[in-house]
Amino acid sequence: MKYALLVYSDQSSWEGVDEEEAARRRAESMPRWVTLFEEMGKADPSSEGRELVAASEAKVVRMVDGERVVTDGPFAETKEMIGGLFLTDLPDLDEAIRIAALVPAAEYGSLEIRPIVEM
Amino acid sequence: MTVSLEATFREEWPRAVAILTRVLGDLSLAEDAVQDAFATALERWPRDGVPRSPGAWIVATARNGAIDRIRRERTFARKAEMLARLQDLSDDPDADVSSIPDERLALLFTCCHPALAVEARVALTLREVAGLATPEIARAFLVPEPTLAQRLVRAKRRVRETGIPFRVPPDHLLPDRLPDVLRVLYLVFNEGYAATSGAELVRRELCAEAIRLAKLLCVLMPDEPEAFGLLALLLLQDSRREARSGRDGELVLLADQDRSLWDRAAIDEGLRVLDRAEAMRRPGPYQLQAAIAAGHAEGTDPSVIAVLYGALEQFEPTPVVRLNRAVAVALAGDLEGGLALLDALEGLDGYSYLPAARADLLRRLGRAEEAAVAYRDALALTENAAERRFLAHRLEEVTASTSW
Repeated sequence: MKYALLVYSDQSSWEGVDEEEAARRRAESMPRWVTLFEEMGKADPSSEGRELVAASEAKVVRMVDGERVVTDGPFAETKEMIGGLFLTDLPDLDEAIRIAALVPAAEYGSLEIRPIVEM
Repeated sequence: MTVSLEATFREEWPRAVAILTRVLGDLSLAEDAVQDAFATALERWPRDGVPRSPGAWIVATARNGAIDRIRRERTFARKAEMLARLQDLSDDPDADVSSIPDERLALLFTCCHPALAVEARVALTLREVAGLATPEIARAFLVPEPTLAQRLVRAKRRVRETGIPFRVPPDHLLPDRLPDVLRVLYLVFNEGYAATSGAELVRRELCAEAIRLAKLLCVLMPDEPEAFGLLALLLLQDSRREARSGRDGELVLLADQDRSLWDRAAIDEGLRVLDRAEAMRRPGPYQLQAAIAAGHAEGTDPSVIAVLYGALEQFEPTPVVRLNRAVAVALAGDLEGGLALLDALEGLDGYSYLPAARADLLRRLGRAEEAAVAYRDALALTENAAERRFLAHRLEEVTASTSW
């Protein structure tokens, strides 16, 4: 079963953070990332993961009465934004929940598990 | 003939659905195939007689039906895979069905998976594991049949689309998942147990269903003391069913029940099952609740009951358990202690039993004026006519005693 694991977090927590602090935070979460990649690699070696550029850089596109309207993002006014996503093929929902809980953002944000419709 | 067909249906439905789900990897497809097989049985058995091995006949017929259906409907890739697996399943209608691995436990865990809404778990369990027909479940839960049918369809779709596994959870997940299964069975029981009036008699069938399912669980998981604890609890509670409501449907408190109405056979069975659970020496919340129910049935010393509630609180530190423990402490003779525990309770705002219990302890302590205030608080919180009558009666008693 293919799943998208959508990583939600509050990106404003990185605003005004200096390089030193950012480096410290990254180093701190490193062991968790290592565990995640190990486990995800074992479960599905072809898993993919991508981090997204901050939602404040997003563009929102709509067609309104046949006209293309482009506005600055983000689209929603919620604090938690999608900051990245994983695509992975796992045996079942229990395994997807186990893997999702290993993503560091599960501690300070949340993970949304979305099964991918099979064609 | 009809009796035999019905009994076979109830016994063989979950077994066949489980086997076909394992093979097809799809609960909806499996259910359709088994349903068709039973329809064929309904047509043939009255004419040709019941086959020697009804279970194997159903599985073989469902298998053949599924093969036909898949040949007609599926895309090639899925078709080839499913057909290959179906071929491996015996088509011998005279085979011993017990020679096919029993998948009913996997079916039960799938139906009770926490990714499903609680009411969906209950409906799915009754449909697939208890083998109740959709209209029966709808009647028992007092919901329109189309609503319940929708609920089942949605639940099955979710099982398929989110990848809810069809299996008994591995050991590391079992301590998390078994309580989910026990909870669903307990919910089914309580739904039936809450029914008191004649019009609701059909709902009482739910108690029997829950007991049947709990027995099945004990057969399938003979090393799980909490499964036996739950079964014991259900049997002991059910034994008091006839005594717990009066002529007008009002609730009769345990202490006031006519004990000759208690079902002695059910009590004995409950006690035996509880013994078996306790012999495994791994206590848990259902065993403790069963032990408390057993204590009530046998007139055990109230101080023992209070200790059992204390142990239960360790497992389930909920306000309702704390309330019950406080009352048990008071009944064991420590009225002041019980009252202090009640006054320390938080998180029960709006729950009429809290002021009602306080009122009762204050009355016993002779603090009539405070008791009257508490009775009025309790009356303001309940709509239940039987409870209101009881509380109003007590309020009258305490106010009469203060005006002297």
